[in-house]
Amino acid sequence: MLEGFWISARKILITVIACLLMVMNQGALRGAIAADPTSENLINCSIQQGPCTKDLRGMTVTLDIQPKPVTAMKDLKFQVTLSGEKKTAAPYIDLSMRGMNMGPNRVELRPVKDNVYEGQGIIARCPSGRRTWIATVTLPEVGKVEFIFDVIY
Amino acid sequence: MSSTDPLYLVFLVTGFTVGFGHCVGMCGPIVVSLSLNLKGRNVLIPHLLYNAGRIITYAILGGLAGILGSFTILTSSILSLQKGVLIFAGVLVLLMGLAMGGWISFGRIFGDGDSSSSLFSKSFHRLSAARSPMVYLPLGLLLGLLPCGPVYTALIASARAGMGAQTALQGFLSGMGLMLAFGIGTIPALLVVGKLAGLGWIRSRRMIYKISSVLMVVIGIYFIIQGIQY
Repeated sequence: MLEGFWISARKILITVIACLLMVMNQGALRGAIAADPTSENLINCSIQQGPCTKDLRGMTVTLDIQPKPVTAMKDLKFQVTLSGEKKTAAPYIDLSMRGMNMGPNRVELRPVKDNVYEGQGIIARCPSGRRTWIATVTLPEVGKVEFIFDVIY
Repeated sequence: MSSTDPLYLVFLVTGFTVGFGHCVGMCGPIVVSLSLNLKGRNVLIPHLLYNAGRIITYAILGGLAGILGSFTILTSSILSLQKGVLIFAGVLVLLMGLAMGGWISFGRIFGDGDSSSSLFSKSFHRLSAARSPMVYLPLGLLLGLLPCGPVYTALIASARAGMGAQTALQGFLSGMGLMLAFGIGTIPALLVVGKLAGLGWIRSRRMIYKISSVLMVVIGIYFIIQGIQY
């Protein structure tokens, strides 16, 4: 009977160690993601605070997303404002997550006034807990610019 | 021909590529658990049925997104259900891991076939002792509700296709078609994982079962935590 008790105790101990390993693994994973130069520390846009602006071949591209806070799984309004001499067709936005294929999610933009384009889109929620998203704004025949930001879950 | 036709191909390919990355991570532990539960029996039919169930659920969700023309209305309606399914999947993998490792018997968890036992315990008994592969179909139907980023993206496309539809039926069919294409694309990856985990190719399975049972316990707990936090 005592032997049975020790066998059960050993099994329980192994379970506890396994759980601890899992928790440690989670911590290590989060640490690795934070240390990953292609991930969170490449955030170049504080979209929660306001619009973000980037230069692209002599033009400036400003992205804003409403409403704030920018939350996943909600209907969002994407606005792109261009400035500069070049004329371009309507831009569009591709939403993606670095290092994780989330499938194609494009926001088509329509002109609402001179050099201002708007469209509706949704940022999906990744159950892994990762919340850093990339909005790649493409200006046809001009180029692309990436806005990397965190969303709220 | 509708404007969504090229999208079907896009989402079929997306399902295929996502399958070998995202789905293996998310559904992989469940598929592995199912294979190990089969204990060396033929894994192909049960896994095909599991995948069929999963894709039927995707298709229904896609059809609903198409009719509603809204992703957010659909997902906010099923959020609690998805949370529950994530926890259920965690409990399922955890219990299978515990039972497979010989850490605890099914009888000790649920009672030995007690007629007054709960629906969950009966379902689990049925699954664990199943000789007919048909039980994997309802399991797939349920686990098709697991929250998943690429599934959400495909549903967003389904809702958009529905917004452009002339009638509710057209919206339903467009949304359903997109999710069907996406789901079919994910099958090869999960079948490969299921087949490899079937362990028919390993001579000495005892140690593998022990290691797998520990991993399943860990993954099950991870799923439960994710479900609670979701």
